Amino acid sequence: MAPILAARGVSKSFFGNPVLRDVSIALQPGRVHALLGENGAGKSTLINLLSGALRPDGGTIEVDGRAVSRMNPAIARQAGIAVVQQELSLTASLSIAENIGLGAYPRRFGLVDYNELAARARAACNLVGLHEPLSTPVGHLSLGRRQMVEIAKALYRRPRVLILDEPTSSLSATETKILTDLLERLRGEGIAILYISHRLNEVMTLCQHVTVLKDGTCTADRSLEGTDAAGLVRLMVGRDPGDLFPRWQPSASPANAISVRSFSAGLMRDVDLDIRRGEVIGIGGLVGQGQEDLLLGLYGAIPARTASATVNGVSGLPGGVPKANALGLAYVPADRKREGLHLIHPIITNMMLPAFARLPALKLRSRRAERETATGLAAQLGIKGDLARPAQALSGGNQQKVALAKWMPHDPLVLLLNDPTRGVDVETKREIYHMLRNFAAAGKAVVLLSSDTPELVHLCDRVAVVREGRIVAMLERGALSEEAIVSAAMGAEQRKVAA
Amino acid sequence: MTAWKESAGGERALTILRSRPFLTVAIVAAVWIVASFVSRGFGAYGHLRYLVELGAVIGLVAAGQTFVVIAGGIDLSVAAIVTVSAVSLPLLSWQADPTGITAILAVLVLTTAIGLVNGLGVALLRVHPMIMTLAMATFLQGLLIIIAGGSAVTAENPLVHWLGNARPVGIPAGVLLWVAVSVIVLTMMHATSFGARIFAMGANPLAASLSGVPVASTTLAVYGISGSCSGLAGVLVLGMNGQGYVGIGDPYLLASIAAVVLGGTSILGGLGTYAGTIPGAILLVTITALITVVNASPGWRSILFGSLILGLLLLSGREQARR
Repeated sequence: MAPILAARGVSKSFFGNPVLRDVSIALQPGRVHALLGENGAGKSTLINLLSGALRPDGGTIEVDGRAVSRMNPAIARQAGIAVVQQELSLTASLSIAENIGLGAYPRRFGLVDYNELAARARAACNLVGLHEPLSTPVGHLSLGRRQMVEIAKALYRRPRVLILDEPTSSLSATETKILTDLLERLRGEGIAILYISHRLNEVMTLCQHVTVLKDGTCTADRSLEGTDAAGLVRLMVGRDPGDLFPRWQPSASPANAISVRSFSAGLMRDVDLDIRRGEVIGIGGLVGQGQEDLLLGLYGAIPARTASATVNGVSGLPGGVPKANALGLAYVPADRKREGLHLIHPIITNMMLPAFARLPALKLRSRRAERETATGLAAQLGIKGDLARPAQALSGGNQQKVALAKWMPHDPLVLLLNDPTRGVDVETKREIYHMLRNFAAAGKAVVLLSSDTPELVHLCDRVAVVREGRIVAMLERGALSEEAIVSAAMGAEQRKVAA
Repeated sequence: MTAWKESAGGERALTILRSRPFLTVAIVAAVWIVASFVSRGFGAYGHLRYLVELGAVIGLVAAGQTFVVIAGGIDLSVAAIVTVSAVSLPLLSWQADPTGITAILAVLVLTTAIGLVNGLGVALLRVHPMIMTLAMATFLQGLLIIIAGGSAVTAENPLVHWLGNARPVGIPAGVLLWVAVSVIVLTMMHATSFGARIFAMGANPLAASLSGVPVASTTLAVYGISGSCSGLAGVLVLGMNGQGYVGIGDPYLLASIAAVVLGGTSILGGLGTYAGTIPGAILLVTITALITVVNASPGWRSILFGSLILGLLLLSGREQARR
């Protein structure tokens, strides 16, 4: 049978860096095709090529066996290709129905036919189990429900090819079940599905065929029958996953760096937490359960309340970022472009900013001292080239290193890290992991919020699993495993059964 | 001979030649040279000195505006503050102080306080800078009408008179004041931690605050500085004019913003320098002088002035697209 949508030997580079090299993939009707690969392996780029958002530098995109020379999103839509993006593309102020129909509103006498829109949007919502009124603004929905709206939006267009980029990362267990059943049914109707997920168990049960990308090349394109999860990991990573992480050695001391009781900030409610010196403590759980608010609250960046708190020997929460910095806290945000760096400013000023924030306002700067500090940091981190370049000239991995490194001259006692390895290449990851373990070994504390479960398992002394604003489990080193973290994150039901 | 381009000195020279402040200086020079050929008397030393003296007022107002714009805000109350300064100073004359310096200090304290209120609104109440400063301008305008009415007030202050008319070492006192302020402003902007903080705030306020920059107090300071700069400009314009009246500051709102943007400072914040605003201010008074030479009616003068500013901005002031 001819594939509905295929890429043949496609390549793509950004700014001279090859992201995809000679990759082929064929989506057959009635098959769920898994696309696996680490962050930065080129999965998103491949999706963008298939959906016409980007054009390949070499190779061709074929629809129904015919090469399309100038693929663009409009042609892709006409061909029945629908993409559910990982980063949600919904408009918060519009209603569910309006979001679902956006760009393809049914028209009558040149005006939007709202009755027809409602009928068709309802049909799409029923498929994904969305029973909220269609007039609800999307901004009022939880992240998981929004994801379902996103999927309904794709179904509304009656696609022949459905591409889903990590659809379950923000879904609850029930919603995940609804989605898997739905995909099974769509497959039966002859739709071609491309499914991207980091959850190997899901992939093993749902998919029939797999393509694995590693560093922009295709390392496997085969049936999933007779393959096990460990084999898939080896194909993705190219080595045993253990190699990535430094050898774990205990360095925790009984003394607390931070201790809070009944701590509330943002989504987080009534948290009791002790962070010991010399340990890496992980914060896990599904995306958006309040983990970020825990870090920001401790850092004084958002309002927080607590019954009692001690931070590096001082009682009370810092209440403000400058005070937190003075107490030896440092925070590295998840979104380095928006929260971590000043992209239009030179690398050197980015590295020196915490110093400027701390020095007396009218103290004269010493350009020579700044250059010395920054050159030292750059040499330590392996950042090459002119430090007067704007930070946006750096690769994602190097940007992340700058976001981390700018705190180092201040010798922080506690590092609060918000997903520090998101979208970072494997080599940089390994460097960051070593930095964190060395930091802990020097008697300082690391709080590592991560969406990458293996990272939590291999790097941390303990992992606090957060669900709906509460710490639902504190897993000690001996009890740490991906299964334990995921089952705690998925909800109390399973834990009660286990207990 | 071909190697000089690769040398460090050559590279630095190239960077300066390509920089926006230098471009503005070049435009000013070109306009002066062309105008002195076209119009007799334009190129005379006395006339050019007069232009720079007029530019000093815009330059002082624009000094505060440059701080605010780099920090990511905008101050639309500068014109009203200039008027407040020029109208309230004659009212504050004390027999006990023959030099008149206490009156000037009192006015500067007052205008700085007005700026700080702007800063409070922006930093703590989170009112958008445009709304906050525009509301402040409207408030001050109303207050001035009640206090001063329609009549002009004459300044009897000897120091103010000296500032507006004296020429120590052949250079107008107002220009000397501008030079002194420029040195202080450039030092604060490019050689202190405070300067680094305002650039960081303007480029990315969220990242700045997460890096420990005290955003609220820095915002407060920036608007306070703008208030005192406008206050100082009001003192100078009063000295040059002899009389203060409601509306005396009106030309300086557009002029201050235009000088900042002509000088290459990004209206989006985070990038720029006062070194560009200085020639920007001189360029503006030069345009005004040229329009006066044309001898058009007041309506046409405004139309010409507005069109010329737009034209110049198209030539040099467009924003680079940001990724």
